Amino acid sequence: MLLESLKRGDTVLEARGITKRFPGVLANDRIDFEIKAGEVHAILGENGAGKTTLMNILFGLYQPDEGEIYLYGKKVNFRSPLDAIDMGIGMVHQNRKLIPAHTVIENIILGHPRAGNILNLKRTGKEITELCDRYGFKIDLKAKVWQLSEGEKQIVEILKALYRGAKILILDEPTSALAPPETKRLLESIRIMTRDELAIVPFITHKLPIVLEVSERVTVLRRGKVSARLETTGATEKSLAREMVGRDVIFRMERVEVEKGKPILQVENLSALNDKNVLALKDVSFSVQEGEIFGIAGVSGNGQQVLAEVLAGLRKAQGGKVLLDDANITHSPSLERWSKGIGYIPSERVDVGSIGDFSLVDNIAMNYYFDVDFTKGGIVNYKGLRKLTEEMISEYDVAAPSPDTMAKSLSGGNLQKLILARVLSRKPRLLIANLPTQGLDVGATEFVQNKLMEAKKEKAGILLISEDLDEVLSLSDRVAPMYEGEFMGIIPGGEARREIVGSMMAGLKPKVEEI
Amino acid sequence: MWEFIVRSLDASTIFTIAALSELLGQRSGVLNVGVEGVMLFGATIGFMVAQTTGSYLLGFLAGIAIGGLIGLLHGFFSITLGSDQVVNGMGIWILGFGLTTYIGYPYTGPLGMERIPNVIGLSPFFFIGVALIIIAWFVLTKTSLGLRIRSVGENPSVAEVSGINVTRTRYLSVITSGMLMGFAGAIYSLDYNPVWSNDFLMGWGFIALALVFFSMWNPYILLGGSILFGTLWQLSLNPQLVLPDLMSRYIWRTVPFTITVGALMLMSTEWFRARWGAAKPEALGQPYIKD
Repeated sequence: MLLESLKRGDTVLEARGITKRFPGVLANDRIDFEIKAGEVHAILGENGAGKTTLMNILFGLYQPDEGEIYLYGKKVNFRSPLDAIDMGIGMVHQNRKLIPAHTVIENIILGHPRAGNILNLKRTGKEITELCDRYGFKIDLKAKVWQLSEGEKQIVEILKALYRGAKILILDEPTSALAPPETKRLLESIRIMTRDELAIVPFITHKLPIVLEVSERVTVLRRGKVSARLETTGATEKSLAREMVGRDVIFRMERVEVEKGKPILQVENLSALNDKNVLALKDVSFSVQEGEIFGIAGVSGNGQQVLAEVLAGLRKAQGGKVLLDDANITHSPSLERWSKGIGYIPSERVDVGSIGDFSLVDNIAMNYYFDVDFTKGGIVNYKGLRKLTEEMISEYDVAAPSPDTMAKSLSGGNLQKLILARVLSRKPRLLIANLPTQGLDVGATEFVQNKLMEAKKEKAGILLISEDLDEVLSLSDRVAPMYEGEFMGIIPGGEARREIVGSMMAGLKPKVEEI
Repeated sequence: MWEFIVRSLDASTIFTIAALSELLGQRSGVLNVGVEGVMLFGATIGFMVAQTTGSYLLGFLAGIAIGGLIGLLHGFFSITLGSDQVVNGMGIWILGFGLTTYIGYPYTGPLGMERIPNVIGLSPFFFIGVALIIIAWFVLTKTSLGLRIRSVGENPSVAEVSGINVTRTRYLSVITSGMLMGFAGAIYSLDYNPVWSNDFLMGWGFIALALVFFSMWNPYILLGGSILFGTLWQLSLNPQLVLPDLMSRYIWRTVPFTITVGALMLMSTEWFRARWGAAKPEALGQPYIKD
């Protein structure tokens, strides 16, 4: 095969002058990009910079309006992802393209031309195990995918691409859902893959340190154009962010010291079940004080979501107590909690945080319909709400044409700003912020984090749940790493060492002297 | 007693094949609530052709063919046009009910052909039904075709990026499913009860539909469920054979339906799902529309 004769340093993929237009948007504007065998070449950009479009073009999902793609020096024309797969391009999707009800091995061989009519799971299993050994992956091939962690699912996707014979691996936000130890293992595997002359193209929005650690070259996109091409030696986190955003970004949010007041929220021995009726929150105790950000760090699925829902009154507590300003609210309905001063930013901003087919005014009304200032005798004061929405849009810099815009037409960052505006405008005593910056680009993240800091200055207590370790560490006054429904400890945010919190998130209880 | 068991297994055979056909379609993500309608078509057309030509073989082939055609129609609406599958299935039922009453009416009465010979006292279709269950299990779990069918039923967009033609796979399942439904209908009218009368099925198709949910999409549980329901059905028809004078036969008549309702209610509880992890195809009932 042609692919076998590749040597390190040969250009395997080259895109020249890629241009793609969507109605009203120039998503990709004459983008040039190339990658060599055995190289890691990252593509960096904010949301809306054209990364996804470019990725979809390289994978054959979209056809470019202008420009050419050359694979191993020959011009190619992908009509569908299948063409790209057949020519050795593998894609590891951020929202995993796997079937949860099927086993790992079934997912890997799905659609594989060599699978045969009658599946030979023994033979394919052996071949896949060899791949695992070679690249240092550990996975149970007979496990069902729904039982796997995010990191393991990613391994399955990588294996699927490799088993199909991928020579170029596109990784979409490869580390965004991984715990630090998983990230470390992934980077190790990437290094072995490049030794085998594979070309790796990670697409990255956040987690800039990873880019610096793993890649040799970086192409930065901004507003559909290439804004910089650099070697990673010599680049810094700051310089990359500047190229992405087009201005200097405050990287580490300065933690403002605010005098702590009395405790607002007290949680004692709280336990709860998850959707599968398994105990997912075990005996958790903590408190949040006025003017404090209490951070919960953890990899997705370790009980943070359950905790947030119990505190918001959306899920029943199995045991324990929740006190808000010394009043027991363990079994209070949500509405009572909102009236008593809890504000809730759900992690699913599209499914739970907003109703896509409602206008922005209606979405704001969802948090105000019970407010006596905006409703009289059951009649909602839409005039007032409209004015309020307009104020929020301008104050929070939401890019929306009018308050009557449908929520679903907003980008993730703008929608999150609107949800933030809705919650903060009620001046909550306690703000539960569940993954407030997940999936947001650098600019919007900075905005949200600033607003959280402002709320803290105004003496609100904030419970910040985040999967981004850097975010938790830089914002929180105290941090609780969470693992399998338990707090692995509660440590002061300023002094917490990244490695220690990282290993606590993976389930290790540290020795006291290490903290 | 032996006679009762034989009749029960004969009834079970029809449930088995009809429910298996529905299971096959559902594993590919296409729900067809019009099983009853397709069965009526298969039964009526099969009956008409067999009586006209005097050939059982042609009768069964006609029943299978019309079933496949209705399957194709259901596929066209629910796969190609992406319409609501429940509404569409109800349409097929109403169409089947109305049209077969109209075209079958002149054929009212017994088939008037020599009965199909038994094999060791049982209808030969019983063995065909069991064989179909084993084949379906093998295809679904051990072959790459089965993996493709299951994957388009679980998550068509994943299947698509893995290089699977979702439309073709779903059509294949839905047409095969329709053929089996037509076959089940023809077994009813040519073997089980070879008399044509108005709306003679009286809910067999709906029980078959419920059996698929009852089986948790597993062919073997489906076989067990079919035998259970076939026995109950038979019991409801002739309670005096087993339990003379226990209840009015009109109450017995409601037993299979009552149990169906009860079983479905139990299975739809959170408790049951958490415990048994019902393997419902994720994309069941959802048209796959590419953007």
